[in-house]
Amino acid sequence: MDALHDLLMGFSVALAPGNLLYAFLGSAFGTLIGVLPGIGPAAGTALLIPLTARLDPTGAIIMLTAIFYGTQYGGTITSILLNVPGEAASAITCIDGHKMALKGRAGAALSIAAIGSFIGGLFATIALVFLAGPLTKLALEFGPVEFFALMILGISLMMGLAGKSMVKALMMGILGLLLAMVGMDPVRGAPRFTFGKMELMDGLNFVPVIMGLFGLSDILENAEESLDSTKSAKVGSLIPSREEVKDSVGPIARGSLMGTILGLIPGMTGSMASFLSYSTEKKISKHPERFGEGAVEGVAGPETANNAHANGALIPLFTLGIPASPTVAVLMGAFLMNGLIPGPFLFRENPQLVWGVIASFFIGNVILLILNLPLVGVWVKMLKIPYSILFAVILAFMVIGAYGVENSVFDVFIMLLFGVLGYLFKKFDFPMAPMILTLILGPTMERSLRRSMEMSQGDFSILFASPIAAGLLIASLIVLITSALRVFPGTRKKATSGSGSDRK
Amino acid sequence: MGILSIRKCAAILMAVCLVGVAASVGAQTFPAKNKAITLIVGFSAGGSSDAGARILAGGMEKVLGTKVEVLNKPGASGQLGYTMVAQAKPDGYTIGLASLPGVMVSIMDPDRKAAYKKDDFQPIALQVLDAGVIAVKADSPYKTIKDLLDDAKARPKKITMSTTGLQTGDHFSILQLQQLTGTQFAIVHFDGAGTAMTALLGKKINAYVGNVGDVLSQLKSGDIRVLGVMDTEESPFLPGVKTFESQGINLLGGSWRGYLAPAGTPKEIVDKLSAAMKTALETEEVKAAMDKLGLHIRYMDAKDYTKLWDSYGSMVKELIPLSKQ
Repeated sequence: MDALHDLLMGFSVALAPGNLLYAFLGSAFGTLIGVLPGIGPAAGTALLIPLTARLDPTGAIIMLTAIFYGTQYGGTITSILLNVPGEAASAITCIDGHKMALKGRAGAALSIAAIGSFIGGLFATIALVFLAGPLTKLALEFGPVEFFALMILGISLMMGLAGKSMVKALMMGILGLLLAMVGMDPVRGAPRFTFGKMELMDGLNFVPVIMGLFGLSDILENAEESLDSTKSAKVGSLIPSREEVKDSVGPIARGSLMGTILGLIPGMTGSMASFLSYSTEKKISKHPERFGEGAVEGVAGPETANNAHANGALIPLFTLGIPASPTVAVLMGAFLMNGLIPGPFLFRENPQLVWGVIASFFIGNVILLILNLPLVGVWVKMLKIPYSILFAVILAFMVIGAYGVENSVFDVFIMLLFGVLGYLFKKFDFPMAPMILTLILGPTMERSLRRSMEMSQGDFSILFASPIAAGLLIASLIVLITSALRVFPGTRKKATSGSGSDRK
Repeated sequence: MGILSIRKCAAILMAVCLVGVAASVGAQTFPAKNKAITLIVGFSAGGSSDAGARILAGGMEKVLGTKVEVLNKPGASGQLGYTMVAQAKPDGYTIGLASLPGVMVSIMDPDRKAAYKKDDFQPIALQVLDAGVIAVKADSPYKTIKDLLDDAKARPKKITMSTTGLQTGDHFSILQLQQLTGTQFAIVHFDGAGTAMTALLGKKINAYVGNVGDVLSQLKSGDIRVLGVMDTEESPFLPGVKTFESQGINLLGGSWRGYLAPAGTPKEIVDKLSAAMKTALETEEVKAAMDKLGLHIRYMDAKDYTKLWDSYGSMVKELIPLSKQ
């Protein structure tokens, strides 16, 4: 129980009044950055580093890490209330979270998201305290080959995201993969689908795309009806019902585990964690048809997973000295500026600081819960604003957000384009979730496959040589078969031809 | 009429003189008080390129007595930022960070369709050399670079070597190493130092190529062994690690970070900026901040930096076709 002893020492550091204040300030700033669309956690943390320049290293790191995981709480708020994701990792929450808001369950959705985030963050931190060593070994097993197999498993979940038509879902999945190819080829350096636009060299920016697909298309759809100034959404009870709590237990538990494990593996992002959680929940749900219509599981799972991912991503920073995500890389810069090289030796050389910071994760997550639950009532009032006024505010919010990602007007046009596309998708009943899933997983899938091929110099047998990869590929096959069996009777009634060939 | 035209002539003459005076005054009084200098960084806020530029900007403000504002314009591996610098007014108030070989790749690779040429820039000064290193896992059979090269000769294209990305400094260093030693490696491109280092520690690849700044933590924890530094002198951050030069391989490389002005910026202004950077880099405050980040200060004035710029031009041009095989 050495870890417990060290942790208690950490609490004595983290509970010092000054450090408590820094954890609080960090949490508050983090929530704010999360709410503002466009300013992602990486840029937000980088911008706030100068604020901590005059603090002692412990205080500075406590505050910056709190900003980092605090953003995951804030990103949810606009997703649920306005259908505008504040953060890429909260994009999937739009689908069911916003539907819940329209049904007068915004308060419940926000509360469940906050509670899920809290549990996810706590779970990942406990894993860091007690299981950091073994978990790190697991993360190191993930090379390009295993990455590829994991991405295949993720994409096989896509079939489960289909709405009424499997054909349409597969079409959207492939469209997502195509969009994921935009940009410079990662091996040969040839530009693909860039139309001579430099701005497309790095691929499409994800945040403007989803802002358009969800937020803008929503406004366009609402504009079809008259923009009645008296119309505004219902604000129901703020407290989740017993039913909602019961339905959230499983997703929160699975989301904690999934987010923590994905956080451990450098290269996995928070949005992957939240999308895989959503897809899994829909896949294993007894009532998958409820998803997309305001299922609380579709909020609880992803919101837990992305926060568990944020805290989990800090594990390799402490155990290997490796930044697992771009935001953690920014945090690593902050460590260095304070004269600290992150890595396992930090536990020996500077235990006060390391354990103080780890203890502050517990405190920060409690602060965020306390901060966010009462605010739910305040945020929900936003829905009382008449839509004719609200939509203009949302639009301005989105334009600024899309511009802010890379200070680029080009991204504003990307958002507008995808807004129109999203509107058409909705009109013709094409499901967007499969496309977004492949758009997120596609680049990593391609890169890891090609990396594997570079390692083996073109020999495909490398993909089956690793037990982990082989296991994941078998799991994907099982998912595919079970999804097919489930969908098959439904599609056969509607379309007798075509559905069979889609499945090869 | 005659008088008028004489007057006209005089006016024109005076105007010409005034413009001339204004221009030379412009150079002498550069930078004007209250007129901020914009430093364009073509990379995201928070990375080590950005951090180094921000430290220097802070130091320059004190020397020049005017604001130096960092503007992040990330995208297309820095190309968006370089375009902005090339197209800016050449008055010294817009300068940009440049990372060699990256900037030269964007110029020399026809696929990149850059809107600028090598001569569209005026090098000001070099700030940092983040030298390249080759590292292996601590329990690897390769004790020296010779062991690694011998095995690569015995088994061509079987030894895997990582880069932190396509056409990065690491990639070009491997290509140079292959040319110098007649070896062939299986080059595996990762995205960034984090995923590549994870692959090394997980024994997915045989050797890691990256910059000094990326290996400090793992070297300290004893997880890796650094086989050499691609520099003419040993790195103060890696005591005891030999240069490749001293091991008989003339391999120099890494990320050279310096500053560019648009071509046509008056020489006096370039020299003034260059001198201001030198003074800033010599202050204790800037030195200490750079030291903490593992950034090795390597100042070069406009003349020497231009030489480096030109030599990289021809080197990159030669290696571009090889980088796409």
